[in-house]
Amino acid sequence: MNETQNSLGAYLKLHWKTAVFLVVLLIGIGLADIFVDSYMRRLLNLCAIYVIVSLAMNLVNGFTGQFSLGQAGFMAIGAYTVAIFTVPVESRTAIFYLEPMAPFLANIQLPFVVALILGGLASVVVAFFIGSPCLRLRGDYLAIATLGFSEIIRIVFTNTQSITNGALGIKSIPTISSLWWTYGTALLIIIATILLVYSSYGRAFKSIREDEIAAEAMGVGLFKTKMTSFLIGAFFTGIGGGLFAALLGTVDPKQFYFTLTYNFLLIIVLGGMGSISGTIIASFLVTLGQEALRFLDEPMAFGLDLPIFRPGLRMVVFSFLLMIIVLFYRKGLMGTNELTWDFMAQKFQSIKKKLSRKKTSTEGGGK
Amino acid sequence: MKKPLSVLLSLALVVTMAAGCSSGTTTTSSGDSDVIKIGVFEPLTGANAAGGELEVEGVELANKLRPEVLGKKVELVIADNKSDKAEATTAAARLIEKDKVVAILGSWGSSLSIAAGDVVKTNQIPAVALSATNPQVTAGNDYYFRVCFLDPFQGTVMANYASKKLNAKKVAIIQEVSNDYSVGLAKFFTDSFVKLTGDPNAIVATGNYNTGDQDFNGILTNIKAANPDAIFAPGNFTESALIIKQARALGITAPFIGGDTWETNEFITVGGADVEGAVMSTFFDDTNPLTEAGKTFVAEYKKAYPDRENIAAVTALGYDGYMMTLDAIERAGSADPVAIRDALAATKDFEGATGMITIDANGDATKNEAIIKTVKDGKFTYMDSVTID
Repeated sequence: MNETQNSLGAYLKLHWKTAVFLVVLLIGIGLADIFVDSYMRRLLNLCAIYVIVSLAMNLVNGFTGQFSLGQAGFMAIGAYTVAIFTVPVESRTAIFYLEPMAPFLANIQLPFVVALILGGLASVVVAFFIGSPCLRLRGDYLAIATLGFSEIIRIVFTNTQSITNGALGIKSIPTISSLWWTYGTALLIIIATILLVYSSYGRAFKSIREDEIAAEAMGVGLFKTKMTSFLIGAFFTGIGGGLFAALLGTVDPKQFYFTLTYNFLLIIVLGGMGSISGTIIASFLVTLGQEALRFLDEPMAFGLDLPIFRPGLRMVVFSFLLMIIVLFYRKGLMGTNELTWDFMAQKFQSIKKKLSRKKTSTEGGGK
Repeated sequence: MKKPLSVLLSLALVVTMAAGCSSGTTTTSSGDSDVIKIGVFEPLTGANAAGGELEVEGVELANKLRPEVLGKKVELVIADNKSDKAEATTAAARLIEKDKVVAILGSWGSSLSIAAGDVVKTNQIPAVALSATNPQVTAGNDYYFRVCFLDPFQGTVMANYASKKLNAKKVAIIQEVSNDYSVGLAKFFTDSFVKLTGDPNAIVATGNYNTGDQDFNGILTNIKAANPDAIFAPGNFTESALIIKQARALGITAPFIGGDTWETNEFITVGGADVEGAVMSTFFDDTNPLTEAGKTFVAEYKKAYPDRENIAAVTALGYDGYMMTLDAIERAGSADPVAIRDALAATKDFEGATGMITIDANGDATKNEAIIKTVKDGKFTYMDSVTID
């Protein structure tokens, strides 16, 4: 009893900054949940979902070095599981008006959390079947296979009219608007990822990324380790997809084109392949940045009517800014670094040093 | 040397973002009582941009003709939803929260409208869909209305046409299975056609394809073997034109009939001489407007865009959506969103450019007249109008 208290005390002593930060963060989410308007709430929810899916993608692509492009497919599985199992039974006949819902599903309605986890597990099962042949191979096969898979899933969902309602999609999914759902899940997943990455499993992931042959020589089971990373990634992505469905309140196959995957690819490249904090920063930057630039789409009145301020300019400027970032931060904003207290202290020190050096050099020049 | 530059550039990024936020707040503060804001929520970039732009044209034209209601200026706030569902919900939420609009018009594409449906419902802001024909847009949503007809109606019109005018007994269907519009239309056509002919096997073959497909010979060979009297192929204009081309090359001579999506210039440029005689139903015909309001609209449109050859039906619907909303605001006597909703729901015999509009209990426009057009000499030509009771 005494011992555990002591170790907890020691832990808190060592990580008091992190503990304070977490408390502040929780209070911040709580306050935002009460005071933020529905537009901002929607954006913040979207940010959290992007954090979840990007983190899952970074686990496989950034930390384990396996280039997987199946995010849209896994999200679709999670999203459809939530959609199918949470839509109120009484509104199902109205939604499935072309062909009634398959009788074995028609009367099953599950609570949101159960459906969400079920969606994650369904993604894991599918990921297992894709992973077991592909992860044995080296090279780009996984990228090709997962890209193909996400398209196949979409086509399958388009054609299974009595289960997914085909191209018509499912609407009236009970929506979540509280920030706690998305941010709670995101926090849990961030913590799980941190613990995983710094465990012996995480070290095995990174060793595979750096050099497969060396990792194998050191006794890392290549297939098993890659599979672990891939399955965990699929689980998180499925959860993210489920939250996405519950945020929008509607799903249809067209949402899950492979272009959706590129959003997340953009985020992890921008944030840094192999950086958890980079992924989080980039998720917010991309989601909020696109929205903040929306004023460029509106006609501007600077006294004269500029014809370039028209719909679409926002995306041009956004892409331009991205190019600049990638040009100057080749490895993404964070590289493989993490935004830890030490990292920030170091940065702060180096900036201070640089400033003082500049000062002395200009003083020297003055003489 | 590179480091300071990169810092400078990232600072520039931050400043731009800050500018974005601040400009957002300034527009909100101007939302005072002498201006009534109406949101226009359309895909202006992405896959559906062409359709969205045509609708905005109609709304802007109507705004130019009738810029005031209740003695206040009407300001249009146009938001792009990038043809993307997640973006559609944030764009709608932004119009409501940041721009404080009292009503929303749009969007092209039923699935985008359905995605925004939940946002308008919870925020109690009325929305008028312009060309979204899927029944699910308004079903179970008291705040969504529409000015166009529905898929069931259009399916029935074409089934009537096939059975009565073409005297078809057997029809083959080619549907774009990934397109909710096409699947819905095919289903309602089938129901109605089977009822009309009394023959449960009246649909002799069904072919499915996906958006973006190029080769339809497999489907068409099956259909040729079934030897139908007509082929109903609702779907995207490019693919439909390719289907007709390849069918003619295979020697299929049965007439092709389709829905309103065919009425684009691309349909004719892709299909060339092969689409001659293809028949489609649509909302509006500029050479033969059904109402006085339609005549005014055509005249004004020709004045505003003198270089356009024909007027798209969705532009007329955009015009109608705006005019009907303003009419509702006038009848409500205030710019209160809930009052506008009630007034919209009570719309009766409103004279629009596309016909008389009465809003039913679902929030749908009850229209009983559709226009049948055909391709003749490389142009969409008025052929007939069909009334269904």
